[in-house]
Amino acid sequence: MVEAGAWWTVLAAPAILFGLAGLAVVGDAALDARGAGRPLTPGTAVRPLLAVSRALLAQPRRLPAPDRLLWRAGVITVPVAAVLSTLVIPFGGHVVADLSVGVVWFNAMEALTWAGLWLAGWGPNAAFSLIGGYRFLAQGLAYELPLMFALISAATGARSLRVTDIAAAQHGLWYAVWMPFALLVHLAAVLAFSFLGPFAYPAGRDIAGGVLGETSGADRLLLQAGRWLWLAAGAAMAVPLFLGGGAGPGLPAWAWSLVKTLLVLGLLVWVSRRLPVIRADRYVELAWVVLLPPAVLQVLVPALVDLNL
Amino acid sequence: MDLTAVVLRAAAARPRVLLVTVPGGTAVRLAAERALRSRDWPSASTPAGADLMVVAGPDCPPLRSALDRLWQDMPQPRARVRAQAPDDVSSVLDAARDRLRSPGRSRADVRGTADGNGHSDRGHPGDRGVGGGVPRAGDPAAEDGGPGSGAYGEPPEDGSRGGRPGGRQGAVGAHRAAPDDRRGGHPDPHDTAEHGDDRRADHGGQGGNGEHGGRADPGGGSGGHDGHGNGGMELPGGLPMAEQGEDRDGLTLDRLHVPLGPLLADWPAGLTVRLVLQGDVVQEAALDGPPACTSTDLFWTRPWTRAAAGEPVAVGEAARRRAAARLDSLGRLLSVAGWPAEAVAARRLRDELLAEAPASAVLPRAERLARRVGRSRTLYWLTRGIGPLSTADARAAGVSGPAARAGGDVPARYRRWLADVVDDVRQSDDTAPLDPVAQESPRGRWDAARPPSVALTEALPGLLVGAELGAARLIVASLDPDPDELAFRRAEVARG
Repeated sequence: MVEAGAWWTVLAAPAILFGLAGLAVVGDAALDARGAGRPLTPGTAVRPLLAVSRALLAQPRRLPAPDRLLWRAGVITVPVAAVLSTLVIPFGGHVVADLSVGVVWFNAMEALTWAGLWLAGWGPNAAFSLIGGYRFLAQGLAYELPLMFALISAATGARSLRVTDIAAAQHGLWYAVWMPFALLVHLAAVLAFSFLGPFAYPAGRDIAGGVLGETSGADRLLLQAGRWLWLAAGAAMAVPLFLGGGAGPGLPAWAWSLVKTLLVLGLLVWVSRRLPVIRADRYVELAWVVLLPPAVLQVLVPALVDLNL
Repeated sequence: MDLTAVVLRAAAARPRVLLVTVPGGTAVRLAAERALRSRDWPSASTPAGADLMVVAGPDCPPLRSALDRLWQDMPQPRARVRAQAPDDVSSVLDAARDRLRSPGRSRADVRGTADGNGHSDRGHPGDRGVGGGVPRAGDPAAEDGGPGSGAYGEPPEDGSRGGRPGGRQGAVGAHRAAPDDRRGGHPDPHDTAEHGDDRRADHGGQGGNGEHGGRADPGGGSGGHDGHGNGGMELPGGLPMAEQGEDRDGLTLDRLHVPLGPLLADWPAGLTVRLVLQGDVVQEAALDGPPACTSTDLFWTRPWTRAAAGEPVAVGEAARRRAAARLDSLGRLLSVAGWPAEAVAARRLRDELLAEAPASAVLPRAERLARRVGRSRTLYWLTRGIGPLSTADARAAGVSGPAARAGGDVPARYRRWLADVVDDVRQSDDTAPLDPVAQESPRGRWDAARPPSVALTEALPGLLVGAELGAARLIVASLDPDPDELAFRRAEVARG
C-alpha cells in the first residue's frame, strides 16, 4: 500500500528528480561523446554539469526594454512546475501528496510550463526569443490534446484520477499492454513539454536558440534544468500510469520504480537523438488528424471494459 | 585558492564557444570546429549563451562593427580571440581558456560594470582592439535605470541596435522616459505589443548575429507608433515602432524587419538577407550586397583554381574536396533542421576526408549517413515542399550545381548531395588529371568571373518570400552559397 505525506518525502522527491535529470544529462553527454568520436570516460560524461559553475558566474543580461518581471517569472516557472509535478508521482511505496485529482495536478503543472516558456520568450523583447515562445504554444496546441486523452485513458481504466489508484489498478496487466497507443502519446508529449530532441522547436538552432537565445547565467541554467527536470518527471509519471508503478517480482517497490523510470528515461534520451526537430506547423497536422482519433478510441477501450465489469 | 577561483576554473574547463567565421576563413573554421569537437567545447548559437568568442579568418573591416556588437552582447566573464591560420587554432584556444580561468582579470571583468574597468579583451594578441568592456561599464544609466533603462536609448536611424548596454551613447537622454512609462503604466496590450515587436525586430537580428544596419523604414515605424498614442518621439528603448501591412490573407498585421546575417550560426558568413516578417512568415526578402570583404582565399574550389592556373591536379583530390564541401553543407542543413547528432556525423566525415583518410575507410560511413539521412522519413516529411526550384528555373538563374541537378525542394537537394558524396568518395583515389571545366566544383561549374555561389545567392530572395522563418533557414541552408566565392568575386570586381 502506498504511504503518503511522510515529511521526508518533501525532500526526497525533488532530490530523486534532480538525480534522474542529472543522469539523463550524463547519458546524453555520453552519447554525444560517442557520436563525436571522443574517448568515453566518466569524466567526459559529467562535463555538461560544469554549466552550473558557469551559471553562478555569468553576469545577468541587460537588454533594451526587457519585460524583466515576466521574463524572470517565466524562467522560474519552468523548473518549479517540473518539481511540483512530482508531488503526486508515487515512487515505490511513497508519495508526497496522494491527491484525489493527481492526474489533473500533473497536467496542470505541465500546462504552467506553457505560460512559463511563453513568458520566457516574451521577456527579453527580442524577435527570435518571442518566436521561440510562440513556437512552444504551437507545439503545445499539437501535443496537449492527445496527451490529455492519453492521461484520461489510464484514469478511465482505473476509474480514478488518483495516481496511486491507477498504479494499483494495474495488478497483473500493465496499461502499457492494452493501452500502448496512450503510452506512446504520453512519451512523445514528455519530449514535447521538455522541448528536447525532436521537440526542441522552441529552442531551435534556426532561430538562434529561441527561448534560450537571450538568456545567460542563472536564467539559462533554470530553463535548461527545467527541460531535463521535466523529462525526468514525465518519465517517472509514465511508470505509475502505464507500467504498473512499483509492482514487480523479487525487488522492493522503490527499486522497481527506479528501474522502470530509468528505462523510460534512457529510451527518451536515445530517441531524442534519432530524430530531427519536428516543426509545429507539420506536427499540428499530424497530431490532430492522425494522433487524435486513435487517442479518443484508446479512451473508449478502458471505458467499454469498465462498463462490462 | 578561493572559491571563486575554483568555480572559474571549473567553468573554463568547458566554455561555450561562439564561433564566428568571416569570409575567407573556411580553413580556419574547419580547424576550429575540429578542435572544439575533440575538446568538447560546445557551440553557442548566440552571444548570450557564450563564454568565448572565436573569430575564424582574416580581418574584414566592414564586419568589425557586427563583431563588436556580438562581443558587447556576451555576458562576463568572457574572452575573445581571433585565429588567422588553421595552425593557430589550438594555441589560440588554449590562450582563451587561460584567460577565462585567470581569476584576477576575470573578476575585474565582473566588477567592471561597477568600476568602469571591463576590458577583458584589452591587448589580446591577434585581436582587434575592441574595447568590449567599455560600453557596459561606462554607462552609469545602465545601472540605475531599472527595467528598460533609458540607457539603452539610441537614435533609430542608427540601425536599431537599440543601444545595447553600451552601444553608442548618443541619445541616452532623449529616450529616457519612454521605457519606464511603458513599464509603469500602460496597460494597453496593443501598445505594449507595438513596442515589443518592433524592438524585437531589431534585437532578433542582433541576438542571433549582429549586423543590422539601418532599418528599412524608420519613418513608417514612427507613424505606427504615433497611431497608438504614445506621443512624440519617446520611443521605448529608443527604438522605432513596428509598422503595419497587409498579410497574404489581407489582414493588417505588424511587420517586423528582421535581418538574417551576416554573422549567424550555421549561416553563410557575411551574407545578409533583410526580411520583413509578419508573425514568423516572410513577406519580403532582399539581399544585401556581401560585406566588402575582399578575400581571394578559396578553400572549397582550390583544386579547380589550381587546375585552371595550369597546375596538375588529380581528379581524386577534387572529388575529395567536393565531397567534403557537400558534407559541410549537409552539416549546416542538419544543424538548422535540428538534428545535431547527424550534423556531427557529417562533419566528422568531412574532416576525415580532408585529412586524407583512405576512401575504403570513409565509404561505409558515407553510405551509412546517406541511408540514415537520405531515407529518413521524418526529415523528408519536415522538409518536403519547401523552397522548390525546378531544374529549368535554376538553369535560367545561372545555377549549375547540385541545386540545378536536383530540380526540386529541400529534400531533393539534400538527397542529391548525399548521392554525390557517395559517388565522390568512390573516386577519391582517382589520379587522372582534373579538367576544371568538365568537372563540377562544389557549388556548380567553376567560373572565376562568376563563381557558382553568386547565382545561388541571387536565387534566394524569390524562394524565401512566403516561407515560415524556420523554412527560410532551411532554404538558405539547402542552397548554401559559399561566402568565400562571394568574397572572391568581390575582390575580382574590385580589381577590375
